[in-house]
Amino acid sequence: MRRFRLPPQILRLVLLTLAIVGTYLIARTLLVPQSFGAYGWYRGAALEEIASQTPVFAGKKACDECHADIQHQLDKFEHKTLSCEACHGANREHALNHDVVPTKVPGSLCLRCHEANPSRPAWFKQIVVKNHYGDQCTDCHLPHQPSQSP
Amino acid sequence: MITELTSTLAEAIPTFQGYVYPNEATLHPVWSTLIVIYPYITGLVAGAFIMASLVRVFNVKALAPVYRLSMLTAFAFLLCAPLPLLFHLGHPERNYEIMMTPHLTSPMAVFGFVYAWYLMAVLLLELWFDFRQDLVKWSEVTPGLQGVLYRALTLGVTDVSEQSVRLDMKMEWILSIVGIPSAFLLHGYVGFIFGSIKANPWWGNVLMPIMFILSAIVSGIALCVFNYLVLTWIRRKTVDMRCLDTMAMFLFYALVVDAVVEALDVLHRGFAAEEGFAVLQTMIREKLFYTLNLGQVIIGTLVPLLLLGSLQLLRRRVPELVRRRMIFGSGAMILIGVLAMRWNVVMGGQFFSKSLRGVMSYKMEFAGQEGWLTSAIIMCLPFVILTVLVKLFLSERLPTSEPSAHGSSAV
Repeated sequence: MRRFRLPPQILRLVLLTLAIVGTYLIARTLLVPQSFGAYGWYRGAALEEIASQTPVFAGKKACDECHADIQHQLDKFEHKTLSCEACHGANREHALNHDVVPTKVPGSLCLRCHEANPSRPAWFKQIVVKNHYGDQCTDCHLPHQPSQSP
Repeated sequence: MITELTSTLAEAIPTFQGYVYPNEATLHPVWSTLIVIYPYITGLVAGAFIMASLVRVFNVKALAPVYRLSMLTAFAFLLCAPLPLLFHLGHPERNYEIMMTPHLTSPMAVFGFVYAWYLMAVLLLELWFDFRQDLVKWSEVTPGLQGVLYRALTLGVTDVSEQSVRLDMKMEWILSIVGIPSAFLLHGYVGFIFGSIKANPWWGNVLMPIMFILSAIVSGIALCVFNYLVLTWIRRKTVDMRCLDTMAMFLFYALVVDAVVEALDVLHRGFAAEEGFAVLQTMIREKLFYTLNLGQVIIGTLVPLLLLGSLQLLRRRVPELVRRRMIFGSGAMILIGVLAMRWNVVMGGQFFSKSLRGVMSYKMEFAGQEGWLTSAIIMCLPFVILTVLVKLFLSERLPTSEPSAHGSSAV
């Protein structure tokens, strides 16, 4: 009986396929990060990398230690749920060392919440900035007591 | 920062009307021109391949002169099919990662498998078996780098005995048979990506994969007509009218089926008048008025139907030159119409809010990652690749094995 031999073109294609698959598998081991898939479809080490970053926010409690008077005032008005650093900027450095001058967020961030947007609830105070009095919001509104005027 | 914020808001606010969720009030949709040309290019690939299969599987001898051209067209476009996606993702420095970590749990990631299967297991193999005999011949007569390229492409197999050529033919036939469902899979998959989104009434539709496949076949044949006529014009050759008329006939039949299924979809939506019907009407009447009614329906469907249909009836009475122009015009219009259809599907699904009570608008960018210039460059790239492929593999100076069956001699 004649021995079965693969035709030359099929043999070459099989070899080429094996070479391509082999190259892909080698490339995969080299290019896919070690920790990929440890917890899910992402690089596991990314979690530790993010966790090891130094926090930049101090938190409302830290502000309260020294600025309790302002905090008490704030608690009586609509902005009581806001975090101090939402408007004043991240200030962990200042909370840890009072000699560090707190960073200042330039301008006011009022429009982030108060620019008119039809998808916001109707009871929420909104303005169309183009039609509203144009200069600083703080000229007419006190951020800590928003319903009062200066 | 405040001025930046104000200007962003001032720009964003007029881009929507009615009730829109906050995360939808963005400057432009998440998917724009790049995602429009992605299904367009994959559709052209699938269509050009189906057109080539008419020769191999269904033995339509009249189309033999365009067999190789359609296969190379499919190949050139397939090489560029993932480009819009990669451009859309950005980060060219890590573009390989999408290929390195394939998985089956995300419908989007399944494209990697579909694409690899179609490119490596179907198209490249069929091209290789078809050209193998010629590559051996060309490698012997061509000097220089080109000869080295042909020799490398033979993979060292120089056997062109009758028995081996018969095996090549058999393999081609098998690959064509495997290729038809694969081409359906390739483009049906793209339709499935949209059709499976239940939350979006414009997309979530079981007819979507079928409409995508049918429009792909129509656009693929139209592209082959376009390429064939342009190539014969560049080479100052006479057009094989029997081949062109047959292409026009298949184009007409495919267009009839496509138009009927798309009309059925519209009728069904209108009759069922489900939850999102009111907002879909706004889409048809306002947001997509020009691209849908003018682009997709009139330019892409009705005028070509009329032109190609009249040719089916009056073929003998129409002079050759007029027939050529009518077929070329229909092909070009269908190509525009199918692009408009992709636009309507991709952009239409993002022009209304998920609340179904508000609509967004979109101003197309010129340059930049999502600008139309990038998409236009990506759209031109397959034609550049095809030019190189035609110069290499359909050159008039090269002898071919089957002058009667293959394109190079006729083109």
